[in-house]
Amino acid sequence: MSEQIQESVSVATGETLVEINDLKTYYDDGAILDSNPVKAVDGVNFDIKRGETLGLVGESGCGKTTLGRTLIQLEDATDGEVLFDGTDVTELSGTELKNWRRNSQMVFQDPESSLNDRMTVGEIIREPLDVHAWNTPQERRERVRELLDVVGLRPEHYYRYPHQFSGGQRQRIGIARALALEPEFVVLDEPVSALDVSVQAQILNLLEDLQDEFGLTYLFIAHDLSVVRHICDRVAVMYLGHVMELGDSEELFDNPKNPYTHSLLSAIPEPDPTANKERITLRGTPPSPRDPPKGCPFTTRCPMKIRPEKYQNMDADLWVAIEVFREVLRERARAEKTLTEIAKEKLGMDTRFSSIGEIRTELFAELDVPSEVREHIDTAATYVANNEEAKAREYLGEEFGSICDSETPAHHVVSDTGRASTCHRHLAEYDEPDEFTPYTER
Amino acid sequence: MSGVNDDADASLVERIRETPQPAMRWLAGALALFVLEAGAVVNAVTGLFGSPVDIPTLLSRDVIPNNGYQTPAGVWEETFLGLSAGQAWAFRVVLIYLYAFIVAWWVWRGYLVFRKHYRHADWTPRDDMVDRLRGHRWGQFGAIIVFMFVVMALFAPALGPTTVERTISDPYSYHVEYYEDGELQNTTVGQANLGSRSQGNPDRNVGPMQYDDFGRFHPFGTIPSGKDMFTFMAAGARVSLFIGLVSIGISGFIAAAFALLTAYYKGLVDLVVVITGDSIMSLPRLLFVMLLSVVLGGSWISSIYNGGFLLALIFAGTGWPFLWRSVRGPAFQVAEQEWIDAAKSFGQKPRVTMQKHMAPYILGYLLVYASMSLGGIIVAVAGLSFLGLGISPPTPEWGRAIDMGQAYVTTSSWHISFIPGVMIVLVVTAFNALGDGIRDAVDPQSEGGDTSTEATAGTGGGA
Repeated sequence: MSEQIQESVSVATGETLVEINDLKTYYDDGAILDSNPVKAVDGVNFDIKRGETLGLVGESGCGKTTLGRTLIQLEDATDGEVLFDGTDVTELSGTELKNWRRNSQMVFQDPESSLNDRMTVGEIIREPLDVHAWNTPQERRERVRELLDVVGLRPEHYYRYPHQFSGGQRQRIGIARALALEPEFVVLDEPVSALDVSVQAQILNLLEDLQDEFGLTYLFIAHDLSVVRHICDRVAVMYLGHVMELGDSEELFDNPKNPYTHSLLSAIPEPDPTANKERITLRGTPPSPRDPPKGCPFTTRCPMKIRPEKYQNMDADLWVAIEVFREVLRERARAEKTLTEIAKEKLGMDTRFSSIGEIRTELFAELDVPSEVREHIDTAATYVANNEEAKAREYLGEEFGSICDSETPAHHVVSDTGRASTCHRHLAEYDEPDEFTPYTER
Repeated sequence: MSGVNDDADASLVERIRETPQPAMRWLAGALALFVLEAGAVVNAVTGLFGSPVDIPTLLSRDVIPNNGYQTPAGVWEETFLGLSAGQAWAFRVVLIYLYAFIVAWWVWRGYLVFRKHYRHADWTPRDDMVDRLRGHRWGQFGAIIVFMFVVMALFAPALGPTTVERTISDPYSYHVEYYEDGELQNTTVGQANLGSRSQGNPDRNVGPMQYDDFGRFHPFGTIPSGKDMFTFMAAGARVSLFIGLVSIGISGFIAAAFALLTAYYKGLVDLVVVITGDSIMSLPRLLFVMLLSVVLGGSWISSIYNGGFLLALIFAGTGWPFLWRSVRGPAFQVAEQEWIDAAKSFGQKPRVTMQKHMAPYILGYLLVYASMSLGGIIVAVAGLSFLGLGISPPTPEWGRAIDMGQAYVTTSSWHISFIPGVMIVLVVTAFNALGDGIRDAVDPQSEGGDTSTEATAGTGGGA
């Protein structure tokens, strides 16, 4: 039976199946005035080749799940296009959309939540077939039994309920459901992250076998980097709604080009305790996706951020203090002030925002600050004290800022295999990220 | 594939054909039980299309009559087997309840037979709920009282010592025979009722389990106009149950539909329903219900079922936001489940998604709150009738009985208010107990959970 299915699938690996052009997905919380949407996916470009497994990694909240959901039209794209075999699926609706849905399915993260507990396993796997009126009911039942067999369950599980299965088995049921309509493209949204480690390997092997058998194309969303390295042909690294680096999986893991990939990979624990590995700890948390930084999205935390020429040799701690100082001002501008707080501020009373003097003392008191730098900081602090925060930020930006703060970096091709990385350091005039020692490491 | 799997796909009929014995046995029993009461069903069905056809049924007053007279020698004439009027009546009541409980037990057996012999799945999540309910004594107490109440409503004509038509609506067209001064007398029921009034005076009172001067047995005594109160109560149970079920049915349907729609689509739809629901909830309900029943009292709807249908509509219209509020949360919770996304991802229709993937999860909660508010509605209808706003006289209704007996509470005719009052308390408590049982069966984690919501649901009527 499976041979028949195999014949009907023609796989020409290498040809583009999905083309994503400048895709944006914003969540608008429906405020009538002053709408400031969450920019979950903010301008993403890449292709997915037929028959490959493309990994999508990043910290939680970076927009990788939203991107996956947008690709199978569970979310509406705000802008941009998703070309599936040349058709823009973001424009589809009605019957066309329903017919297209047969081609792309999703395996969900949580096997507890992705199966309706009140339906039998057979009904669950059969539902997509029923929706698309696939053949006769008798054939549908046979197809379900076939699928149960394919994913490693037994045909007599048809009339069991999901409660009677373990997490790994439930995930197999979810996979069977996704495969019922013989899709070409499957989004795997962290399919093993909720499972025991021993079961993870089984499911990953099953997914690989199924890919070979049916010629599937996978988008594999994960935060477990070792899993990604194991299963993916190419990997895209996402940060704050942007793809920072995309390239061949082995190459990217062995020799990351982008500063963010560097930091991310340095977080993989090394099984060898004697190995001397430099670890880059990122400062702070990612900025709010409602208000991403201008310029490079990673600029607020980048350990390799480009500095103005004259501050090249500044003390690492002092530079961090200055960066934090700027970030605090940025956060303050974003923080919502209540009417009382605005009034208090106008009257010169104390608000919950601590005074600029305190912040300065906290940041710089224990550091050896050169007079020239001190002057700049004092000027900025004076602006803030006079309630001219915008001016203070602008002043600091001019003095300590660089191209990273002002311009969005372009995609640079960084290897022969066509790996792309998004960083200003790939420009000719700066040191390449992988040749550059992070300031904190010096 | 092998033959085993083909069998597994067989329909229920085919599976019964394969092993017919258990099903046949059950069916034979069911048929036998049905034949006993087939006449009543034929009568009710033909009654819808004109003059009802009368076929004798076992549990009717024709087969076991209790209307007769006692000769001076103490012998009862025209009653069943010459038993006294009270004994004949009691015999009939016991038989009816026996029959009802046997039917209920047989239906339960039918479910067990299906579960054991014919169901594909050897276990379903519902089995656990049923098993939890089987061990829930408080819920079972509620279920039994509720069942008895429903049987009282269903079999009202056969349960009463006399009928509504004979004693309440048309008493001067029927006659009673009785012995007085050694002679068999004949008078109209209306005339006899004048002699069996309960008006607080020991000389003029027919209390519970007493005979009046005309040899008529009154299990609950009589009301001030001399009519039999048990007949009145049985007929009133029908009215209460009708209003309760119709209004809960309508408001439950509205609540479920809105909860599913708002949870699925969210956004603007939700906002509109929240505003509408909250506006209705913010009205003082009892006053609003009274206002509506006065304003609409003259319209054509108020003539359907003696104003009962209008009351049901009013309670449904003002009651759905309470039910909707209680299932909105569960509906939103289930809408967040990934299987809803999965259904969307293969193009399932929103209507089917709501029906198949969301509705089963809120139905249990709906049942809990519906059974709890049903008690509230019964109280409220009684309250309105007590105030003279509900069911129009002379239709029997429990609240009206309390109203009629109000002046006699401290006298020897205390039974007129007391018995309906106790029965209302009992029925409302039973509905709440049943709701508790269902809740614990559906959602075992909530056991002993917050009792404040129950209290609000129970007093939904506020009367």
